[in-house]
Amino acid sequence: MMEEGLTINNLKARVNRIEDILSSVAAGDLEARINSEFEDDFTGVEAAVDLLINDLTDELMQREKTQKELEERLATIQEQQKTILMQQEDLLELSSPVTKVWDNVVVLPVIGTLDSRRTQIMMENLLQKIVDTGCTIAILDITGVATIDTQVANHLIKTVTAARLLGAECIVSGISPAIAQTIVHLGIDLSTIQTKATLQESMQYAFQRNNQHVVEIAPEEHMSHGE
Amino acid sequence: MNDVITERRIPIIKIGNYLIVSIQVDMHDRLAIELQAQILEELSKTGAKGVLIDISVLEMVDSFIGRMLSGMASMAAIMDASVVIVGMQPAVAITLVELGLEMPNVETALNMEKGIEMLEKNLKQRNANKA
Repeated sequence: MMEEGLTINNLKARVNRIEDILSSVAAGDLEARINSEFEDDFTGVEAAVDLLINDLTDELMQREKTQKELEERLATIQEQQKTILMQQEDLLELSSPVTKVWDNVVVLPVIGTLDSRRTQIMMENLLQKIVDTGCTIAILDITGVATIDTQVANHLIKTVTAARLLGAECIVSGISPAIAQTIVHLGIDLSTIQTKATLQESMQYAFQRNNQHVVEIAPEEHMSHGE
Repeated sequence: MNDVITERRIPIIKIGNYLIVSIQVDMHDRLAIELQAQILEELSKTGAKGVLIDISVLEMVDSFIGRMLSGMASMAAIMDASVVIVGMQPAVAITLVELGLEMPNVETALNMEKGIEMLEKNLKQRNANKA
């Protein structure tokens, strides 16, 4: 089946070879090439097929490399994510240290940023501690808190109300000027909550509620106690 | 009254001037209504001045029971007695607050002992007011 002006040797065998090579490439053998030993009009076609296989192989290898890189990066990110989550858990654990400071008084000093989740955990810890220790006065000191939003303020109110339901009184102290401004601007009514300016004043209030007061003792008396 | 209800009835104990009710079973709506009626009945019969309701074993309080307790306090107040609820679990308190049942007219105490102290204080105050 020769056309005018074309010289092709051994056409049938060479077409078969092209088919073979293409199918082995498709099957995954990326090294297979035609490498024709003939020099005639069909050689160009064979060379073009070889070229295409080369390009394809390059493309595939490039893609594999990129994929591997991406997978490695993903693994690193996942590892980091895990660390962050673990640290977050730790932080939540550490961030609500409810301490019994005196007969009948527990204190929860809050430091840092308050979000709903943290406030929720704080609330649960505080209530549990109230029940465990049997203390009827709880002081929530928010001196270390820079800002709060509506939701957090709402949580604080809920905490105080829940503490009351348990039979304890909850005092909030250390409201900063910025927070006071925010609260009033947001239209939140904190009048149902007992607030004190400082932790010291809330302690004094707690003593008062416990029918106790602090007395200063004379130095010599103090010395004699030491002996 | 059928047997099931009598069997599950919650005991109301009178000690001194107070009635003590310790809820040891899971509350359902009908039991709650009956309990309320029984307590008020007992109040008028004995002339007690205070009611102590211990709910320390209750793991769950729904809005109905919450309202019943809150209503109980208002009713007792009209009958010249005060109600103190003692031993509420933290989870129950959180649930009630989330439900918006803040029970402003109900007095609460951490345990029986503190509850009785509170009732005694209330009674003393009332006597002082009368005098």
